[in-house]
Amino acid sequence: MRSNSYTLIFTSCITIVLSFFLSIASGLLKEKQIANVELDRKKNILIALGFEQSAKNMWKPKDIQTLFSDFVQEFNIDENGNRIETASIDHESSEALTYFQIYKKVVKDKIEGFAIPISGKGLWSTLYGYLAVEPDGKTVKGITFYKHKETAGLGGEVEKPWFQNNFVGKQFIDDEGNLISIQVIKGKVSDDDPQSYHKVDGISGATITGRGLNQFLKEDLKKYEPFFKKIRNGLEI
Amino acid sequence: MSIISKKSKQIIADPLMGNNPITLQVLGICSALAVTLKVDTALVMTLTVVCVLSISNTLISLLRNLIPSKVRIVVQLSIIASLVILADEILQAYMYEFSKQLTVFVGLIITNCIIMGRAEAFAMQNPPGKAFLDGFGNAMGYGIILIVVSLFRELLGNGTVYGFQIIPESFYSMGYENNGLMVLSPGAFIILGLIVWVHRIFANIEEEA
Repeated sequence: MRSNSYTLIFTSCITIVLSFFLSIASGLLKEKQIANVELDRKKNILIALGFEQSAKNMWKPKDIQTLFSDFVQEFNIDENGNRIETASIDHESSEALTYFQIYKKVVKDKIEGFAIPISGKGLWSTLYGYLAVEPDGKTVKGITFYKHKETAGLGGEVEKPWFQNNFVGKQFIDDEGNLISIQVIKGKVSDDDPQSYHKVDGISGATITGRGLNQFLKEDLKKYEPFFKKIRNGLEI
Repeated sequence: MSIISKKSKQIIADPLMGNNPITLQVLGICSALAVTLKVDTALVMTLTVVCVLSISNTLISLLRNLIPSKVRIVVQLSIIASLVILADEILQAYMYEFSKQLTVFVGLIITNCIIMGRAEAFAMQNPPGKAFLDGFGNAMGYGIILIVVSLFRELLGNGTVYGFQIIPESFYSMGYENNGLMVLSPGAFIILGLIVWVHRIFANIEEEA
């Protein structure tokens, strides 16, 4: 049996050596990891905007960068839906300037859609994703989630195509032109439901994730409503 | 004298078939069910476990005469945990897609009983060379089962193997459908059970009544 002081010294040494190596490794890999996350974010914007990759022709990092710089224009709007130049946003100014990001898909000078960032609480975690809207300013073009920590197989299904494809073609504006958002319901949407144009099949076993999704979709769409209203009225942005 | 002696061969070969950690010792079941949806994730998981287990066994064996027996489990765990975190960081940097798919299960390698089990049962009593071989053999034994299970699950659940379409389109137009059960964890459980059964028949193992 060894003395207590030996035990103490030994465990301290082990801890210090191990944490030393871990912090070196973490420091060295940080840059690469951040680049990966950034690339994944761009990839999700592209997917939401309807770019498709096939199983045979998967995107390489370079493809994502090229597609993004060729077809996606990034700009910011203020809370009234007016475009603000990125240069005029002074990050150091004392007054907090609210601005929202928009990613516009332009193919051959024709606008093909807008992607907006969405995020909010699910059950365990904050979900991050993008919602893409058709040029008509009221129809969903696509939705993606690139970061969440929901239960795999239940809430985690939000990242699966079957769930995301349900959003495509749904409308978040009612007949009178009011924002009604998109609603994830419990169970399946019935075809007879006159409200089915803004309802989406829920995930069984993930009621709270769905509820969270409804809430933050509504809040995020509200922020962009002035902008989409202008789009619907045919104003050039 | 050959480079690999008969004894060393046995250390590697034993956990692959006769004394497989999953099918015989029934360890590491949780991750075997979770990451076997596709062959490629199973391969990455195998690779990670092979690295972690070989290195952790070697390190613990090197330190075996210095580790105070009172705190040996704590020391083993901190070494294993550090290696797993390191593996996770490397995956995030160089294999981001897989890291996203494997999610928490890379971190959960820390609690994989195979790794703790080998540290405690083998590395604490044997020299580094043997401990390395034992770690490598056991991780491969675990990996082989993972890959076999994922082969069945991907083929029956998605009609593909390693991302390649195996079941032809004509089957689908004739009314063949992918088995949805295989995509879920219970499917993995059933396949794993069948593998354990078949393995025990061939290895001639009988449970004591």
